[in-house]
Amino acid sequence: MLTIKNLTKHYKGSNKGVTNLNLEIEAGDIYGFIGHNGAGKTTTIKCITGIHEFDEGEIFVDGLSVKTDAMACKQRMAYIPDNPDLYEYMTGIQYLNFIADIFEVSAVEREERIRNFADAFEITASLGDLISSYSHGMKQKLAIISALVHKPKLLILDEPFVGLDPKAAVILKDIMHQICADGGAIFFSTHVLDVAEKLCNKVAIIKGGELIASGRMDEIVTDGESLESIFMEVVDHAKAD
Amino acid sequence: MLRQIRILTKAQLCNFLNINVARFSKDRKKKNGMIAMGLVWVMLIAMLSFYVGALSYGYISIGLERVLPMYLSMISGILIFFFGMLKAGSVIFQRNSYEILCSLPVSQTVIVVSRFLSMYLGNVILALAVMIPGIAVYGYLLHPGMQFYFLGVIGTLFLPLLPMTAAVLFGALIIGVSSRMKHKSLVATALSMVLVIGVMLFSAGISEMEGEITGEMLKDFSGVVTAMIEKLYPPAVWLGNAMVEGSILSGMLYFGVSISVFVVMVILVASNFRRICGGLFSTTAKHNYQMTELKRTTVLRALYTKELKRYFSSSIYTTNTIIGPLMMVLIAGVVFFAGTEQIERVLPIEGGITALMPFMLAASACLMTTTCTSISMEGKEWWIIKSLPIQTKTVFDSKILLNLSLMAPFFVVAEILSILALKPEGMELFWLLFLPMVFMIFACVFGITVNLRFLNLDWENEVTVVKQSASAMIGGLGGCLVIILCALPVAFITQASRNIIRLIIALAIMGVTLWLYQRNVKTELATIG
Repeated sequence: MLTIKNLTKHYKGSNKGVTNLNLEIEAGDIYGFIGHNGAGKTTTIKCITGIHEFDEGEIFVDGLSVKTDAMACKQRMAYIPDNPDLYEYMTGIQYLNFIADIFEVSAVEREERIRNFADAFEITASLGDLISSYSHGMKQKLAIISALVHKPKLLILDEPFVGLDPKAAVILKDIMHQICADGGAIFFSTHVLDVAEKLCNKVAIIKGGELIASGRMDEIVTDGESLESIFMEVVDHAKAD
Repeated sequence: MLRQIRILTKAQLCNFLNINVARFSKDRKKKNGMIAMGLVWVMLIAMLSFYVGALSYGYISIGLERVLPMYLSMISGILIFFFGMLKAGSVIFQRNSYEILCSLPVSQTVIVVSRFLSMYLGNVILALAVMIPGIAVYGYLLHPGMQFYFLGVIGTLFLPLLPMTAAVLFGALIIGVSSRMKHKSLVATALSMVLVIGVMLFSAGISEMEGEITGEMLKDFSGVVTAMIEKLYPPAVWLGNAMVEGSILSGMLYFGVSISVFVVMVILVASNFRRICGGLFSTTAKHNYQMTELKRTTVLRALYTKELKRYFSSSIYTTNTIIGPLMMVLIAGVVFFAGTEQIERVLPIEGGITALMPFMLAASACLMTTTCTSISMEGKEWWIIKSLPIQTKTVFDSKILLNLSLMAPFFVVAEILSILALKPEGMELFWLLFLPMVFMIFACVFGITVNLRFLNLDWENEVTVVKQSASAMIGGLGGCLVIILCALPVAFITQASRNIIRLIIALAIMGVTLWLYQRNVKTELATIG
């Protein structure tokens, strides 16, 4: 579903970025992407979603190149950023309708999906209000609904659980499982290692822009250990090297 | 307290002038943008200083040296008020840092004073650019005493206080009234427009008064001008009298009124600061939405609607960009009401006003296009467009369409007034309709090109993008300059070859527009910002 080959992206005049990153996310995967602040998680995600161009390498979504088939790739995926800066001058429903228009979702389908997700996240009553009046959590919920309105095959999320109330977090996890059950895939970054351990079937650890570990969760986290202890061990080991 | 004011003012200036970008950014594109912006400012200040220098020489040559300092003071005051009135409110009551500052052990007075101070520093540069060349020319030609220079320089430093106070007063009034309304931004825009039209009519009033001057009055022309300035802006006369005549009373009046009015204003704003900001930043939520039938529309229409909502959500964006089209109607109105004969007496050019009218309409309409800042205005929300499956062309088309649809009603009114006033026939009618359209489309496309080159998405206050960015300056002035340059050959050639020249100009502008458009739409969204 998502293939990242030798991805290299460096910011002008800075050492930060991502170097020679390789990842393979298959249909049905819930893939966790963990690392320190500034490790390169958001940079990788922004390269996948077309927000950043990259220096070297290739990214394929459903077999299509992000470089040469950007539009087709974007049609197949959805992105939820860590800080949902949405159009504050729109109401919630106007924003969702705008996103549905861009993805050319039919009126009937968009209505049904928005109704279902808005009810699930309990924000239907607020959809007529300006986004500027929303709390961080409500904006996050709106961003999630907008990402789901066109039924994406690949969902890319940057710290999706930050700001969500416990109930909304449970609903989001259910939605993630449902997408995977329908043949889609999830790739998300997180600092909450407990969540990653319980939710993901695969995980990748990034440090200083380089991938230091990746694979199936049950292969990385063996008996008697937690993802947290593995993470600390791997990161410290990489530091010593 | 002084230490806190200094720290906050420094932070404000860092934000407004992008000082930290210049110091620490390693992004060459951003630095080049800053250099371009700096050059535009230096050029504008140099042009203003040169103009004032020449004007001062002219005044002294015709024996009006006594009124020169007061005249320049009045010009400074009007400029500071005009440039400040639309932004003063949003600078003083800036939202972004409000919550952070309110949670810190900093008094409201410190916050307000620091914001006034950062505004003052910008305005004092403008005052110095007007006053210093005048003082220098006056000093060189007339060798006045030391008190002239001393009071001139000190007086200039106090010059921004009164117009700034007036600008903040109007800004606060607009914000105060609109914050009580449901559609805050629209009401603020409407009130700002009333203010802009008021200032324009006031300026027209000055010209009218000059027109009333008779031969009898010319015997004491300097007395007439002094009386006129006294009627319009008395503090300018006080400063002028203090500088030229060494009048202690005038000096005390000028400094006393400037300082006391300003201090009263600061105290008033500081004591009501939290209440005003509270009313201003509060949002209402009905929380009673029920799902209704949703309608599907095209991608371009969806983007256009989004642009329209964005445009009318910001009163500073609306007011600053609607001035140009409004001026287009005003120019057509002046020609309509004053009549072509009177205009041609002032503008004695080959072919009369009819030949120049298309260029005058276009130049005013293109004074400040929305496109030269519309990408920057996306700010932190730009990620949405970049991550969606939208072609660059569709995004830019929606922005150009917004600009053209805003100009359209003003264009129609201006054209009707112009046609009624000039009664053009045949080709003249065609050019009157066609040339402004060609230039308006060019200005919209040129605006996108300039904004792509001088993009700023990391802003905290819309004022930074709309009024202070390189993109706004170069986009607005550049478009106008092109139109003025195109008008020159038309103004100074005979009727016979005018049609050919206009055809060449139209074809050249259309060619450049097409080339710029194709170049713009080829840009990958991922590479923008």
